[in-house]
Amino acid sequence: MDVYEPGQGDQPPTQITDFNPGITPSGLFWTTALPPEDVDVDFEEGEASMRVRNIVLTDFHDFNNALFGGGPAPKPVTISVRVRWSGIDKRLRITNADQGFTGKFIVNQAQMEWAATTEDFIYVSQPASTSKSDFAELGHMRNGSFFADE
Amino acid sequence: MNHSSFGSLHLPSRRNFLRTTAATLAAGAMGTGFAPYAVAENEKRKQADPKPIPGGTPGLNGAFHVYAPGPPNLSFTDPPDSEPATITDFKGFAGLTYISGNVVRTDRKTGVTKLLPFLDADMRFMQGVYRGVNGRVHQGTFALI
Repeated sequence: MDVYEPGQGDQPPTQITDFNPGITPSGLFWTTALPPEDVDVDFEEGEASMRVRNIVLTDFHDFNNALFGGGPAPKPVTISVRVRWSGIDKRLRITNADQGFTGKFIVNQAQMEWAATTEDFIYVSQPASTSKSDFAELGHMRNGSFFADE
Repeated sequence: MNHSSFGSLHLPSRRNFLRTTAATLAAGAMGTGFAPYAVAENEKRKQADPKPIPGGTPGLNGAFHVYAPGPPNLSFTDPPDSEPATITDFKGFAGLTYISGNVVRTDRKTGVTKLLPFLDADMRFMQGVYRGVNGRVHQGTFALI
């Protein structure tokens, strides 16, 4: 979750939070397990929802620090999130043999609300209806050893 | 699909903020009703770890096992036909979005609030079967946050 301080004048905004699960020694990127009931998908209708409840992540402050370190010391953050995907703008079938995945995809929209606490701050997002996705998609896909499955 | 709980969030009142731990308030606002830090839910759900996808975005020299599929008008994205999942040997549903909005930040010591933007937060899920690091196939649900 990337929160920014708005830039002054012509200055771009400055990132002040990067909440994520970190990268495991195996290289698994910012990925964490959820209870199965916290994701709900109706692919044919282009709808899905994801809940993240009371999960402890790390605030790395900014993207570069999250990837490469050398910045502010990471701090714990507890976060809850709801994301909802909806609509069908486009249906696609994508096969990328180089990357080893294939599937059916729907490009649509998403909205989100979230809350988080750190040692110093509480964050409570504005209602989901005020959020806007720059890109959203749902997929029914397979990769790796399942790539060649029918 | 149950969307009934997808309602608005409300800021805690200053009085409640001062009386109650900030952590509990934030969790309560999302309907979870129990205190963060007390239990790390992600730590309770340990199962066979999934494996990362091979390769990664050229934007980071392939050093990180993630791609950012999306339209070319977004400066950080890979081609739209790039891999959206972060786990390999996976078959199931995936969702991805880059999403922006505003958040109210409250200083826990002073109560001072500030409206700040969150920009293109990368949120994803993967739900289905996967072959874990132990070589066995499992059911699993994962999020990239």
